Amino acid sequence: MAEEFSTDGMLDMYLFENGQLLEQLQDMVLSQKDADCFDEDSINEIFRTMHTIKGSSGIMMFDEITAVAHKLEDVFYYLRESHPDNVPHLELVDHVLEVEDFISNEMEKIRNGEPVDGESGELVARLDEFLDKIKGGKGGKSGKKKGEVPQNKHEEPKQFYIAPVATSASRFYRIYVSFFPETEMANVHAYKVVYALKEMAEDLLYSPEDIISDPECAETILKDGFRILLQAQCTEEDIRRVVGVGYDIDKVDVFECKAEEFLQGFDFGEHDDVPAPAIDLEASVEEIDARTQKAEGAASKEEKKPEKPAIAPGDFVIKSKEPGKQKKLAKDKPKGEKASFISVNVSKMDQLMELIGELVISESVVLQNSDLKVPGLNLDNFNKAAAQLSKISTDLQNVIMSMRMVPLTNTFQKMNRIVFDVSRKLGKDIEFVMVGEQTEVDKNIIEHISDPLMHIVRNSVDHGIESKEERRDAGKSEKGKVTLSAKTEAGKVWISVEDDGAGLDRDKILAKARRQGLLEDSKPDSAYSDKEVFQFITLPGFSTNEVVTEYSGRGVGMDVVVQNIQAIGGALEIESKKGFGSIMSLKIPLTLAIIDGIVMEIGNSSFVMETGAIKEFVRVKEDMMIHEPNGDEYIMIRGECFPVLRLGEWYGLEQYKESVEDGVMLILEVEDKKVCLLVDKLVGEQEIVVKPIPSYIKKVKGLSGCTQLGDGSIALILDAPGLIE
Amino acid sequence: MDERSELKRQVDEDGASGERDTQKGKYMTFKSGNEYFGLEIQYVNEIIQLQAITAIPETEDYIKGLINLRGKVIPVVDVRLRFKQEPFEYNDRTCIIVINIKSMMVGLIVEKIAEVVEIKEDNILPPPTVGRTDRIQNKYVYGIGKVGDTVKLLLDPDKLLNDEDLSVVEQANEMNIDEE
Repeated sequence: MAEEFSTDGMLDMYLFENGQLLEQLQDMVLSQKDADCFDEDSINEIFRTMHTIKGSSGIMMFDEITAVAHKLEDVFYYLRESHPDNVPHLELVDHVLEVEDFISNEMEKIRNGEPVDGESGELVARLDEFLDKIKGGKGGKSGKKKGEVPQNKHEEPKQFYIAPVATSASRFYRIYVSFFPETEMANVHAYKVVYALKEMAEDLLYSPEDIISDPECAETILKDGFRILLQAQCTEEDIRRVVGVGYDIDKVDVFECKAEEFLQGFDFGEHDDVPAPAIDLEASVEEIDARTQKAEGAASKEEKKPEKPAIAPGDFVIKSKEPGKQKKLAKDKPKGEKASFISVNVSKMDQLMELIGELVISESVVLQNSDLKVPGLNLDNFNKAAAQLSKISTDLQNVIMSMRMVPLTNTFQKMNRIVFDVSRKLGKDIEFVMVGEQTEVDKNIIEHISDPLMHIVRNSVDHGIESKEERRDAGKSEKGKVTLSAKTEAGKVWISVEDDGAGLDRDKILAKARRQGLLEDSKPDSAYSDKEVFQFITLPGFSTNEVVTEYSGRGVGMDVVVQNIQAIGGALEIESKKGFGSIMSLKIPLTLAIIDGIVMEIGNSSFVMETGAIKEFVRVKEDMMIHEPNGDEYIMIRGECFPVLRLGEWYGLEQYKESVEDGVMLILEVEDKKVCLLVDKLVGEQEIVVKPIPSYIKKVKGLSGCTQLGDGSIALILDAPGLIE
Repeated sequence: MDERSELKRQVDEDGASGERDTQKGKYMTFKSGNEYFGLEIQYVNEIIQLQAITAIPETEDYIKGLINLRGKVIPVVDVRLRFKQEPFEYNDRTCIIVINIKSMMVGLIVEKIAEVVEIKEDNILPPPTVGRTDRIQNKYVYGIGKVGDTVKLLLDPDKLLNDEDLSVVEQANEMNIDEE
């Protein structure tokens, strides 16, 4: 894919920009799905988005996308102009999302190099039908507007060429610029004039038209002069200031004229810019759009720009609201924002991070070099410089880490969409609440949680929330509520999906588990804790849902969810109360790459343990130990009894301390299980960069990776859950 | 042998084909015990001095642990222990040969680096099939190269690292169980 991008920058840009537009579109639509109708800004925004997509798709020759975008643009054009008051809002939301899906799908195909073969016909037909419906179903009070609408459409092309809007402050000028006859490339000089004028122009026309692309017209300009029609809120002096007589321009004539004259355009034959009002309006708009944007996309990027804002019907509205504003503002702003992002290959980021990791380590090798420890050295300046260096490298580390952190917003938005789709299909009324979507998580992790999360959310909507009738019978409000929340706690991210639905049926699950032989026969049902019982639903092939729906119930899923979560070192916790709903919480590490760890020593080996897993450190006395005859050891701390694990002995290390009184006990807690770990010495806490143990070495129980310490040596990372097992 | 040729192909695909011509037939030789061994030079990344090794518990005895090679963590294998020879004291002459096989980097701890020699294909004989086939190291030796009057045992690095030496693994497992 990367290669395709580099060879085809335009396509890349197309996909990137439209992808962003569609995302914004979806966010906006979903945020207003519960309203009665879209507010004016949104309507304009959707209209503009569709217009942009239509235009760029037109350039790229994706006709089906163009057609669909065009149709939706029509619908919103109508909404914007006529403000019909009986629009079925949800239906409209559906249509917008359908279109968004269609375009996203097609773009995905483009990205994968597949043929773009989506059929837009049906979708366009549906949109047509919808448009007819909202047009047809209009009451008498908006009857006046009804008549206007078709006209509006027909005027569009004219507005393109002629002043889009004339306010009382606007003045019209006819400008003739004559160049010195010896001027080389008069067309370029003419373009300079146009470029200068466009800053103040509300509308600008000039003749000859193709000053950049057609060098031939240089002669025409020299012979006949260069003519400009300008609509602007400025005085003649302003114009003269901008288009001054200079080394190239011989003479500038500025005549103020009336709007009507202005509308007539240039009254000379061969350069008649104003086409006869076309009968096939849509086609002509299309054609013009495509032509203008093509020109924009090509090397001669700028020259058509002055015209471009005028043609975009999207701008029309903004201008009529704010007549004083320069038209280019509206269009250019989002582009400016986009330019501040670049997409970088993740592997480059990884490489950068690795290098920074190495830098930090070599820094400590330099700063703690034994050569510096010669007594009597004056290191004042060195220490100052060293402090500065440390500061910079710490900053550098922080920056690279923050670059990898991405807010969960996009993932959450996707869930919003799923809730919307599923609940609509199932006829459930569901309020979807998102909390803490700004929580930032490492990009690698986001990629891994999206699918599991989607599954859980779907489950909540499908199984969790009951049907309206059931809810009414149970005395709940008909509207179900699904809350998706994220928070950071103890170095982990908690993402939970909470619903106020039926909850899990403990008895049903137990019965099923017994049928499947998952329970020990001798153990009564009551001996299983809720937690244990709910864990059954994460087993493969376990679904208590009698009816398989489109969305869930086949019993595949939860096991995959759990697998995926475990793969990134996370866990799934299920809480539920029958009749009151359930909470599914994903506990995932903030980042895979860097963890806070406690460095410790046993004998001459260093180990690191994740800080989050350690509950406390204690120094113990020999008399606190309880020795069982079979060799097991326990320790009594504040009346609580913990099993003891002597790490040195367990791993068969050398020179570890035998006596518990010489060492330090670490109390580890993982999911309510506690264990005491005996180590020789604590070294300190530090942020460590997790590296995998090379695959050549087979998996060792209790070790999850390795890391480099400040002195360049390698420490093994202990994995608390593995040790407890 | 098939595996080896596949290995070679892979290396070729990795883009080393240009270099390979000059590397062909050249062997890095080192001493382990009383024998001299040869490794095709295309597998050799570099030779480094012995450095601090972080031991990993519960692994085979010949896997000495991990070293930090400029930020890369690579496992090191004691060749003598791998060949079931007597362990030896590491000293100044002890080196680590870093080899790269199937994009996996592994360090080999050897007593002494000898030299790079060129061995023509006609001077490479298959290992004798009669006689002491029970000796474990025969598994890793795919040929015997003649250099003047001496012979070098040519090692198949892939087998050297990945050959499933069941008895060792089993032993290790038993040891683990005992410890637990």
